[in-house]
Amino acid sequence: MKKFLSMIAIVSVLAFTLACNDDETTPDGPSITAPEAADVLVGESTDITFNVTIPGGYKSTEIVVEGGTGVVASEPAAGATSGDVVVTFTSDAVAGDASIEITVTDNNNKVNTEIASLSKGNQVTVTANITTNTTWKTGRVYVLASRITVVSGVTLTVEPGVIIKGQAGTGSNATALLIARGGKIMAEGTAAAPIIFTTVADEIEPGMIKSPNLDPTLNGLWGGLIVLGKAPISASANEIQIEGIPTSDSNGLYGGSDAADNSGVIKYVSIRHGGSLIGSGNEINGLTLGGVGSGTVIENIEIVANQDDGIEFFGGTVSVKNALVWNSFDDALDTDQAWNGTVDNFIIVAPNTGSGFELDGPEGTLKQGDHIFKNGTVYAGANIADLIDFDANSNVQMSNIYFYGISNATAVKEYAAMIAFAASTSSVASFQYTLPADKDAAVVFAGIPADKLTSVALNANTVGADKTKFTWTWASQSGALTTIGL
Amino acid sequence: MIHNDTEKLKNMTKSLKIAFFIAFIGLLPLVAAGQKGTIRGTVFDEGTGEPLIGVSVLVKGTTNGGVTDFDGKFNITVIPGTYDVQVSYISYQTLVISVVQVKENDVTLIDNVRLKEDIQTLESVVVTAEAIRNSESAILSVKRKSPNLMDGISAAKFRQIGDSDASEAVKRVTGVSVEGGKYVFVRGLGDRYTKTTLNSVDIPGLDPDRNSIQIDIFPTNLIENMMVLKSSVAEMPADFTGGVVNIETKDFPEDKVFNVSASIGYNPNMHFNKNFFSYEGGKKDWLGFDDGTRALPAEATQEPFPSPTSAGVSPQEVNSFLKKFNKNLGATTQTSFMDYNLGISAGNQKNFENGNSLGYIFSATYKSSTVFYDDAFYGEYQRSAFPDEYEMIYATTQTGAISEKNVLLGTLAGLAFKTHQSKYKLAVMHLQNGEKRAAQFFIDDNGSAVGKSGYFGASDNLEYSQRGVTNILLNGEHYGKDRSFSVDWRVSPTISKIVEPDIRKTAFTYTSSDTVFSSGAAGNPTRIWRYLDEVNLVAKVDVKKDFMLMGQPSVLKFGASQTLKERDFQILSYDMQFAGIQPEFNADPENVLQDDYLFPNGPIYYSSANPNPNPNAYNSTVSNSALYLSNQFQFFTKLKAIVGLRAEKFVQRHTGRDAIYANGDEINGNNLENEKVLDAFDLFPSANFIYSLTDNQNLRLSYSRTIARPSFKELSFAQILDPVSNRIFNGGLFKYADWDGNLQETRIDNFDLRWELFMKKGELLSVSTFYKTFDKPIEMVRISAAQTTNEFQPRNVGDGSIMGIELEFRKSLDFVAMPLRNFYFSGNLTFVKSEIEMTEQEYNARKSYEKNGETIARTREMAGQAPHIINVGLSYENSELGFDGGLFYNVNGPTLTVVGGSLFPDVYSDPFNSLNFNVNKTVGRAKKSTFTFNVSNILNDVRENFYTSFNAERQYYSRLNPGTSISIGFKYSL
Repeated sequence: MKKFLSMIAIVSVLAFTLACNDDETTPDGPSITAPEAADVLVGESTDITFNVTIPGGYKSTEIVVEGGTGVVASEPAAGATSGDVVVTFTSDAVAGDASIEITVTDNNNKVNTEIASLSKGNQVTVTANITTNTTWKTGRVYVLASRITVVSGVTLTVEPGVIIKGQAGTGSNATALLIARGGKIMAEGTAAAPIIFTTVADEIEPGMIKSPNLDPTLNGLWGGLIVLGKAPISASANEIQIEGIPTSDSNGLYGGSDAADNSGVIKYVSIRHGGSLIGSGNEINGLTLGGVGSGTVIENIEIVANQDDGIEFFGGTVSVKNALVWNSFDDALDTDQAWNGTVDNFIIVAPNTGSGFELDGPEGTLKQGDHIFKNGTVYAGANIADLIDFDANSNVQMSNIYFYGISNATAVKEYAAMIAFAASTSSVASFQYTLPADKDAAVVFAGIPADKLTSVALNANTVGADKTKFTWTWASQSGALTTIGL
Repeated sequence: MIHNDTEKLKNMTKSLKIAFFIAFIGLLPLVAAGQKGTIRGTVFDEGTGEPLIGVSVLVKGTTNGGVTDFDGKFNITVIPGTYDVQVSYISYQTLVISVVQVKENDVTLIDNVRLKEDIQTLESVVVTAEAIRNSESAILSVKRKSPNLMDGISAAKFRQIGDSDASEAVKRVTGVSVEGGKYVFVRGLGDRYTKTTLNSVDIPGLDPDRNSIQIDIFPTNLIENMMVLKSSVAEMPADFTGGVVNIETKDFPEDKVFNVSASIGYNPNMHFNKNFFSYEGGKKDWLGFDDGTRALPAEATQEPFPSPTSAGVSPQEVNSFLKKFNKNLGATTQTSFMDYNLGISAGNQKNFENGNSLGYIFSATYKSSTVFYDDAFYGEYQRSAFPDEYEMIYATTQTGAISEKNVLLGTLAGLAFKTHQSKYKLAVMHLQNGEKRAAQFFIDDNGSAVGKSGYFGASDNLEYSQRGVTNILLNGEHYGKDRSFSVDWRVSPTISKIVEPDIRKTAFTYTSSDTVFSSGAAGNPTRIWRYLDEVNLVAKVDVKKDFMLMGQPSVLKFGASQTLKERDFQILSYDMQFAGIQPEFNADPENVLQDDYLFPNGPIYYSSANPNPNPNAYNSTVSNSALYLSNQFQFFTKLKAIVGLRAEKFVQRHTGRDAIYANGDEINGNNLENEKVLDAFDLFPSANFIYSLTDNQNLRLSYSRTIARPSFKELSFAQILDPVSNRIFNGGLFKYADWDGNLQETRIDNFDLRWELFMKKGELLSVSTFYKTFDKPIEMVRISAAQTTNEFQPRNVGDGSIMGIELEFRKSLDFVAMPLRNFYFSGNLTFVKSEIEMTEQEYNARKSYEKNGETIARTREMAGQAPHIINVGLSYENSELGFDGGLFYNVNGPTLTVVGGSLFPDVYSDPFNSLNFNVNKTVGRAKKSTFTFNVSNILNDVRENFYTSFNAERQYYSRLNPGTSISIGFKYSL
């Protein structure tokens, strides 16, 4: 009996020992704890940490990344039984979901797999003035929470395809992007990836040109882009405050003596739904250029549905090439304070309640030559006010412009007074037009001598805009230009 | 919050009504008390003007008599009849008042009995009771003996001149002018330097843009007197410079009073005019408040704001929100009615066996006035930048008509209780004022002018303003046995509330082809709501002790006061927007808010211009603790001096923020959370000397230090846009290149010298000169960098000074011929030269626009300071016939009202020649009925302000034609 009991004991011990030996020789495979879902901004990197236990001893980690790229930034030492695997995830430019799948292998070649999910956001809310050099990155949407100023000495670089959305509101609720005197904007979009300024109500996402939800007539939902410089202006003082910005913000001052001032580059930029009302007669233009110098490059601009003017020049010497203003709710192109630059190749489509051109002269004693509008096409539309609103002291030379789409009582104002004005060098040349049968060119182009006007069949003009430069625009891609024969 | 306040107001109004009712019913038995008749009166020392205590008053031929109390008052009951009353006092000349008629259950009042100190003559002087009843001479008496420079007008004078509200009446006072019929200027100094108090305590103003209260809301029916004090003494608050206007509401009457009065006024230009504008109002407009017709829809202040671009709001929610707005945007014409006033006042006093007396007064007034300016003009002009172009260029002109319907309901109830040594007063007053305005303007904006887009427009402006003030005064006066010691304490809370609900401006722009709303021209339709709530609490105690100092009578005064104020201010504005192309409105504002046009059925929606938190809202508090000590010395009989020192600890706190902060930029934005914006401890010395050249001639010399503090709004980061005037106010704390944002109070040194001669029957002649220096006064400075908008900021400008001379006279024409003895020629003339050093910024702005031949000086006159103020009148006064009347003329010299610079010309007010005629006749044997007849603005002058510029024709800034008006009134006294 004793012997029997001894046998049992021995067997038991043996069995136990064997069992133990069996555990020691084949330990459990790795276990992984993935982190909670993380947020990452498109184009940004973030470290994702997985906690791992590797009873068999750590050997290696492999990763599979969706929606971006990843590298293993740190891992446990070889043979370690626990530690962290840190993966640096770099988001691609597309907002949406992303994931990192890691597979951990132990020294016994046992493996385990776990997935961490990420959400790639593309929206950045900008609440404060830009006081250090800053880059706004492709793929992102920047929301302007208030009037954001790029202050003097600072450059804001905006990469192609960036969308900037202003929060809604009028009066002191208005939002805008203001480039102060001495500040710079480097906004170089491309025809394929223009930079778009719009409202937060716009559901447009990077990569789109057309708004998925807003009509191209919706206006006044945010402010606009205001660029100010140090070039000379003709006003009541050498420097004054730009309209739409209360004087308590001195970043709104413009004007100076540097005609060649450089406020940066603005190319392939579409500005939409802006023009917040500040007070009556006091709103923000789509693109406001106050005292901007000739060192600044502005090309390929589209302004859509702005409650105030499309582009307004307040003095300065900057020139603009390839500009399209569609559905402005005040004047399409507006000049003041003896601006001295050129707009070459432009299209104006259907201004509402405002004029095609609102052309003013000096407001102070400074007169610095004439500004020039050449190679343009103007589709007047049904709601235009004056076709061209000259002032007696306007300093402007206009040539090679085609006018059509005239249906209401719009006309040219004060041409004769301007020509008769003392020492005026203003002029018009090579205007072409198509008028309905019931309209008289002498009434519509009141005062402009007949030898400067040529009637042509609809869209058979030989002067006017080069429409091929505008294929990138919302106006073109929405078909709005085609419907008016462009 | 708005709803709660309305509820509070309702409850308060209700409580007040109940309080009045109880007071009225409870005191009714007093009216019926008494079988015999009563003689009451007050006895003063002719020499000092102070009440005499212990004077024996005897009804001759009876055994009835009495002795005056600490107020110099006596009360004797006798059987009805006609008596001579003898007033005698040791070492004073005995006075016999003849033909004192006493009726059953009636009180005969012989107030203002003045005894002359005279030990030589033992004969008594006999005067008739009628001759004594001229309270105006009581004012003169006070004025003569007052240690400080003081002028005033009493209830008796209101009656004589027929003024219905305080603003009309106060104009009669020397050196006083009233701007826009509302705001009092003393010696031509602007509103900033004038203070208005009610029963000697601060009351909140009713206009957030003003420092003083508008005085036209006080009906004369509720006022006992108005005193204008022009030099400071230690017991008065230090924050005034030109003067303090103190309105004393009626105390309890000496006599049983029951008056009803009614009057009508007719202005041929304004009344029964078919072109009068109006708009849909509420059912309670006639009571001076809105019934909710103009209420702001609740969703307008909730998140998210119901607009098509807000996330989480359905188009249906937007639509139902839009439908809650009042659809009335246009003015409609209706025939205007004439002005009318109704008044009732009742009061009495009851004398108890133990000598105590109880009095009450109740007074209510209702006033409805209708104003129509059918040829109103507002202009904006600019100066040319070229030195050889002198004429001004118009920028914008507005021509049109303005209609105003103004309703004022005033009620006052007071209780007073007097014992041998104490007097207690409780007075409750509520004023409710509603002003409904409708106007239409044609707008001509000149595109050739700087910063102007050039358009024609037509606007309809609909406005409503309701203002309520509730004031409670609890006052106790306590005297020592011999009257040499007295304590006066007051606690007075005031609640003031202004709501300007749904101010609508709808302006169409005429383009060459259409009539539309154009944001770049006449603007999109806008509507705003403004709210102001203010609570003031004043507690003060004043102690006075008469004593002998080196053998001469001396008066020691000391006291303390604590003033707490809190104001909440808020503007909410909403702009009409169009989601797409505008429908055809046919230029009719009434066509705009049609259901078919509202989002999503049409393009119209409203956008909120109010960030959260709102930069157009603030809360400010003030605590002002003061202590003072003064002593009146009598160096010898002829020279008196009052020397005093006042200390004030003033702390102002502000909660508010600017738009940048409100929109989320907490780094560059400015925000104040109950932060101290002013914290100052100041000492205000004052010295007044009176030298009696003769018995009726004084020479006065005074010096005082006073202060002018920035207002709540000025010490803030507020940025307030007024959509009607399109002006932007920037709080004084904002920094500019030429302004450090450090807005400070102004300290003023005041010097006055006055010679005065008092003659018989209230005749007087006085000449004063004054000189004041201002340490960096605050002015509204136009920001010259702003060309498109009109922006202003309060700033300390250069040091200023004013120098002036004042002449006042009142003379009977008996010296011309005796039959003319009841005619009086009276007047006061003030001439002032003011000077202020321009700031560098202003000088440069002016210099840059200097014309050929023009010389820009470094100094200019002070803004708001009239160079002269003239009041003259020829009056007839015959109390025996119960007939008086007069012709009164008032004019102010051209005053710089808006300071210009560079592009912007200066604006000057044009003298308004106001000539008014009034007669007043009491009829019937019992003289219970009084008729008044009044003609105002006989010269049919027009109120005008002009832009002026060197060598240029002046141009209109504003023009309003008040026309000539006639009023007829009737008053019946029981």
